[in-house]
Amino acid sequence: MEANLISVDDFCGHHQVEINFIKSLEEYGLIKTKLIKKAIFIKADDLTGLERYIRLYKELEINIEGLHAVSHLLNQLEFLQNKIAVLNNEISYYKQLH
Amino acid sequence: MEYIDYYKVLEIKKDASTDDIKKAYRKLARKYHPDLNPNNDEANKKFQQINEANEVLSDAEKRKKYDRYGKDWQHADQFDAQQQQRQSQGRNRGGSGGFSGFGGDDFSDFFSSMFGGGGARSSSRSPFKGQDYSSELNLNLLDAYTTHKQTLTVNGKQVRITIPAGVENGQKIKLPGYGAPGPNNGPAGDLFISFNISEHPRFKRKGNDIHIQEEVDLYTAILGGEKIIETLNGKVKLTIPAGTQPDTTLRLKGKGFPVYKKENLFGDLYVKWQVKLPTKLNAQQKELFEQLSKL
Repeated sequence: MEANLISVDDFCGHHQVEINFIKSLEEYGLIKTKLIKKAIFIKADDLTGLERYIRLYKELEINIEGLHAVSHLLNQLEFLQNKIAVLNNEISYYKQLH
Repeated sequence: MEYIDYYKVLEIKKDASTDDIKKAYRKLARKYHPDLNPNNDEANKKFQQINEANEVLSDAEKRKKYDRYGKDWQHADQFDAQQQQRQSQGRNRGGSGGFSGFGGDDFSDFFSSMFGGGGARSSSRSPFKGQDYSSELNLNLLDAYTTHKQTLTVNGKQVRITIPAGVENGQKIKLPGYGAPGPNNGPAGDLFISFNISEHPRFKRKGNDIHIQEEVDLYTAILGGEKIIETLNGKVKLTIPAGTQPDTTLRLKGKGFPVYKKENLFGDLYVKWQVKLPTKLNAQQKELFEQLSKL
């Protein structure tokens, strides 16, 4: 078995969420799972994102549809923040030249 | 220390019911939650404020004390002491002194002053994960070639990290727990570091492979010979076969860039020969070339 996979059963037990929650996230394309010998796994690299969904779901009571929209907007936000960082770097570079 | 109007923070009236407070808190938490406001210190501060306001106003006793002293909170302890003196005769000391267990790092000085002390936490406070931080680190290609340690300053804190050889331009690494402390004793956020690796004038990196261009004079290209070239890990003597054509590329296996987190595994080095033609021929050279061309 791949070392960087985490059993969804273990994950759900630890975070006290229903397995259906994970399945719903997958249906909305928010996460990807892997089926190995009838057991479902998630990649360790996807943990941060998944834990964020759980926090938003449990702490802020955002439903799956809301998480889908939030995820989309956060991706856009990250893209724009990165773009701003790159543009700021360029501005600093040209300021140093003059 | 500044007085904080918790009602204003939660955008509610002084006579708001417990339910109103809960609703207002939920509404603002949704707006300023760290997960919804990445890299936004302002939102993070606001989130701590609303947590603090909720902490006070959703607890009947704390709200009572807050409402009673209001802007005179600085004299709250004095008032309490005077009152205790008046009432002390014939009475036992009761309770634990009330508001304890607050005033952690995630609360304002105002809150700590008013409700400070040690003890149990309120059950109404739910722990939240702290905000994630992100930072950029500029490296040159040679830095990225070897595993090394660097110290970064992130939000005033020194963080020493090990940068594994082979890290890629734009790659992000996560340092769990190096983000902002979690409000209400929640887990700390994570620190994400992205690497900006500047290009090297000579060594061009493509994944784990390195590409370079080397000049070879016409005579060596035609007759063959040897040349010593610089690679990222030392000098290498190469044999140039007779009749080497311009732009011929040679692959040196394992002489490229280290593969990220794979010990002793390297990409390849590609050497492209640039045949340099002689210029400004003297009379004798010109004659010899003419002779050659007629053969």
